[in-house]
Amino acid sequence: MKDAVRRLNLEYGFNLSEQEIDVVAKQAEEAALLFKPLFEVDLTGITPLTKVDKRVKKAPALKKGKK
Amino acid sequence: MKALELAELTISEIAPLIRKKQISPLELTKSYLDRIKKLNPVLNAYLTITEEQAIAAARRAEREIARGNYRGPLHGIPFSIKDNIATKGVTTTAGSKILSDWVPDFDASVVERLKEAGAIILGKTNMHEWAKGSNSINPFYGTSYNPWDTTRIPGGSSGGSAVAVAASLCVASLGTDSAGSVRNPASLCGTVGLKPTLGRISTFGGVAGTGGYTVNHFGILAKTVKDCALVLSHVAGYDPKDPLSSDEPVSDYSKPMGIPIKGIKIGIIKGGYFAESLTSEVGRAFEEALKTLKSLGMRIQEITIPHMNLVPALQAASTRPEANSDHEHYLRTRPRDYSPGLLYGLIAGLLIPAPVYVTAQRIRRLLCQEFDTAFEKVQVIAAPTLFSTAPAIEDCNRGYVEADGKRVNLADRAGNFLTRYTIPFNVTGLPTISVRCGFSSSGLPIGMQISAAPFQEGRLFQVGHAYERAAGWYKRNPQL
Repeated sequence: MKDAVRRLNLEYGFNLSEQEIDVVAKQAEEAALLFKPLFEVDLTGITPLTKVDKRVKKAPALKKGKK
Repeated sequence: MKALELAELTISEIAPLIRKKQISPLELTKSYLDRIKKLNPVLNAYLTITEEQAIAAARRAEREIARGNYRGPLHGIPFSIKDNIATKGVTTTAGSKILSDWVPDFDASVVERLKEAGAIILGKTNMHEWAKGSNSINPFYGTSYNPWDTTRIPGGSSGGSAVAVAASLCVASLGTDSAGSVRNPASLCGTVGLKPTLGRISTFGGVAGTGGYTVNHFGILAKTVKDCALVLSHVAGYDPKDPLSSDEPVSDYSKPMGIPIKGIKIGIIKGGYFAESLTSEVGRAFEEALKTLKSLGMRIQEITIPHMNLVPALQAASTRPEANSDHEHYLRTRPRDYSPGLLYGLIAGLLIPAPVYVTAQRIRRLLCQEFDTAFEKVQVIAAPTLFSTAPAIEDCNRGYVEADGKRVNLADRAGNFLTRYTIPFNVTGLPTISVRCGFSSSGLPIGMQISAAPFQEGRLFQVGHAYERAAGWYKRNPQL
């Protein structure tokens, strides 16, 4: 992760010290661990949430033969 | 009437007096401005006081009311606005050094609506830098102090707004809440704090980089539940300037108050999410609050949210990349104008892979479905707003508090521990209100949050108001 931080340091021109690079790298490593369980969830058929809508209760299924 | 007595009133008490011309909006505004002049040097709630504009607006309100043009319950009522909400012609810093001299040439839609309702804007309130934290210890503008104990934080990021309301430096305030930034300071300062449903209030005019998109809400801080309802009725609703705002109809939110709550089911989430580091004093106050609700006829039921423990990861995975999207320009041009801690966090955020963000948005939908299922069994969900009362400023600076003989770190892998209890209602966008539910042995306020299904704000007000009146905690004011 330190190498990734160093690359950003050059690209953005942050002028981070080695000590600061350590701090950022540690935070990024901690975040990667935090996010790991997200990929263990079965998300088959689940699309991203983009807006909260009023929940509409499912209408009861129509009985066969009725229209 | 003495100035202090005026200052301790609520909107629902003041409004009829203004309408009947028994209180002058001008005198009321001057009374608050005098109190701000006296107490703001001690509390640092306001960054900008808009005295001249406030007096002009109050004069205008007085003239209109005298001519019989009363606009409604917010007419002549003094408000404050968090400093990450754009105000035309008034500096809007977002608590940052970078925007220290930004003067917007437009009002946020919510400010426009307040002004249309005749409200008086007294000024802009202090906050955590870029709203990225919840202690309101601001390296550029100084700390806002908790009016119940000035050695303690007020919470945040809308810390100045909560201080202003609690200390009667305004009647109500607008804040923003992307991780608890309205409810957290409301709880720690003993005010009511409302975060409505995601999209219920337009966020047009919110400073980019102070809350992201998927979990950010504008909210209301006031002294009572009824006041929150009155304000929401005037500021909610679709706004073409904010595509994420909802076109759900806005109702008169003051109507449900007073309707008995007997038979309403209240859900308590099983599994220990809200037990993490819960202090005994807050736990006891919450249990007592549940007893009060039961005595009013509510029924308590345990509910399960299977993916509850992923909430901190969802919050971080959503807000960090969104923050980076907004901060990209300043990270390249003015990185050293952020406080070091915030800068390091933003740089670390640049290393979050895109699939993390998208996966989080998918799990948010899953979590919302789990809450939907829970709301088929109960009408509201209750939880403590925070694990503890207001930490000391010194504790925040050293990074941990000691409570019940245990050390609790205020930051962990997931980020800010002070927001652990509030973020479930950000990632789901559910309407949630924090009400005062007791005091610690040292006299610090404690908050309980009540949540409902999307766009069921009326239910929150019904239950919150009934609890507030039965418990009576709202009557206490800080001694200043």
